[in-house]
Amino acid sequence: MEALQYWMQGFSVATLPINLMFALIGCVLGTLIGVLPGLGPAAGTAILIPITFNLDPIGAIIMLAAIYYGAMYGGTITSVLVNVPGEAASVITCFDGYQMAKQGRGGPALGIAAIGSFVGGTFATFALMVVSLPLASFALRFGPPEVFALLVVGLSLVTGLAGRSLLAALIMTFFGLLLAMIGMDPVRGAPRFTFGVQDLYDGVGFVPVVMGLFGVGEILVSMEQPVLEVIKTKLSDLFPKRKEWGISSAAIGRGTIIGFFLGLIPGIGAIIPTFLAYVVEKKVSKHPEKFGTGVIEGVASPETANNSYANAAMVPLLTLGIPGSPTLAVLMGAFIIHGLTPGPFLFKERPDVVWGLIASLYLGNVILLILNLPLVGLWAKLLEIRYQYLYPGILLFCILGAYSLNQSVFDVTMMVLFGIVGYVFRKLDWPLAPAILALILGPMMERSLRTSLEMSGGDLFIFFQRPISAVLLILAAAILVTSAIRLMPMWARKESKN
Amino acid sequence: MKRPWQIASLIFVFLSLFVLIHSFSYPYKDRLGPGPGFFPFWMSIITGLLSLGLFLQTTLGKSDPTEKSSFFPNREGGLRIVLILASLAMVVVFLNPLGFRVSLLLFLFFLPIFLGVRNWVVIPILAVAGSFGVFHVFYYWLKLPLPIGIFGI
Repeated sequence: MEALQYWMQGFSVATLPINLMFALIGCVLGTLIGVLPGLGPAAGTAILIPITFNLDPIGAIIMLAAIYYGAMYGGTITSVLVNVPGEAASVITCFDGYQMAKQGRGGPALGIAAIGSFVGGTFATFALMVVSLPLASFALRFGPPEVFALLVVGLSLVTGLAGRSLLAALIMTFFGLLLAMIGMDPVRGAPRFTFGVQDLYDGVGFVPVVMGLFGVGEILVSMEQPVLEVIKTKLSDLFPKRKEWGISSAAIGRGTIIGFFLGLIPGIGAIIPTFLAYVVEKKVSKHPEKFGTGVIEGVASPETANNSYANAAMVPLLTLGIPGSPTLAVLMGAFIIHGLTPGPFLFKERPDVVWGLIASLYLGNVILLILNLPLVGLWAKLLEIRYQYLYPGILLFCILGAYSLNQSVFDVTMMVLFGIVGYVFRKLDWPLAPAILALILGPMMERSLRTSLEMSGGDLFIFFQRPISAVLLILAAAILVTSAIRLMPMWARKESKN
Repeated sequence: MKRPWQIASLIFVFLSLFVLIHSFSYPYKDRLGPGPGFFPFWMSIITGLLSLGLFLQTTLGKSDPTEKSSFFPNREGGLRIVLILASLAMVVVFLNPLGFRVSLLLFLFFLPIFLGVRNWVVIPILAVAGSFGVFHVFYYWLKLPLPIGIFGI
């Protein structure tokens, strides 16, 4: 009954005309970010945070969340038409989506992706409504040791699943933690590693870092091979053939379930659910050999899983305060900028924000469907903008976004420096996501570790005396050991053969 | 990619040594429990060990024969990257003294030219729209404070 009241409250907030407008603007901007090469969802969301400074927190969060899931769909368009994923989770869509476009069936590929994204996103939002309240109540029992253990699990997952070297991924995680130590000590409030620089007292701003690593860094990498070839394909007919509906519906169903359950695990990232959805689809198919040649279920299932994951990943963010991906880390930062702390207490303190946001996800999915089916041709046109005009434009918004956070040129400088760092790491093929998550979770992790040790008088066994934290830490160790085994030369070779 | 990985891991070894040495300037423990030096001390030790491990693994391991990509860009790509970074550095230097409008006008005018565009109609239009137009939207409509330079624009 209590849940029903909250749902009603959420819809009354989300359906206010002003909030509907913010959701619409967010969906348009998000799709644009997803479509434009050189601008991923993390950097795109970060750039647009300053736009929301003078908005009411609910409107701001609704708009930024819409940008996040809008970008998830937008990435599909570049995957299908250019064979370059607009964001990492759309990599798998290139396999069959691009082949369909080459056969003149780009329209149905984008159409089924939009429909699948709608179904997956809507289901995940409904499930989010059902599970978030009990989960948030459960999370209220967490003390510092449990929070620390949970953060270790999240970082282990994002580390263990990233890149081709576990050591490199771990170094990136610790790099993020080292960066997080700059500024005020989160427990005692004393300045650390500031070297007398006033601008560092507030720490390294995660927004300039995200814009640098994911925005500027990406542009620098794409400068090496800047020309994109857009496939000319028929986009007037967006619906699949009649016989394809059956196969697509089953694929959408499986993608929804996979995306949702994996979205609940903090730190898993958007790539794993889409890959798993594709693999499952291939396994259950009667003609697995045709995958990669342009089969519709090869687009439907991963695209559904992608948006189902995107909505489900809000569960750990809202109930536990743990972002599962760099984009969600940016969204969490936006919450903090607007004076809101994601986590179980937010459900008690600002139910209007939490339930308004959740209800807006429903409406956002409808907006995306309405927006994307008729406007596919327009989005495709954007891909024809020459990179010589596009990249300076993206950099303009990066400069604007970085500067307006604190009205400081120092932040712009940090963005440029981290752009170079991001370029180097991309070239090295070291994963960036663990560094970003560690940067944003670092202060929380240090605080919970030190408070736990204060509680136990310095005894590390406190983490194993409490059942939840013990189980979580064992799980984290298991994740890292499994990843290490998976990346051992003999296993890696076996896997790549498969 | 063997040599860049070795260099990168060595840089991290030195970075963690720097953090470790610097962590000694903060108390490791205080009367309540772990002090501000506790976390940096352990983080730097773990990062150092991991980096050393990666350095040894890369040095002792075989190069991947399937590796195709090179760490360094080709000449044209490298030049484009340098031009973009130089333009961004100019913005950083001139943003406060010249203001948002003038510094971004110059940035948006010259960067497309550096990247090979020679359309003398489109470039000025985009430069003015991207500098004066964007300033107007964000400064007057969205009320975001942006720098105004010595010329009052």
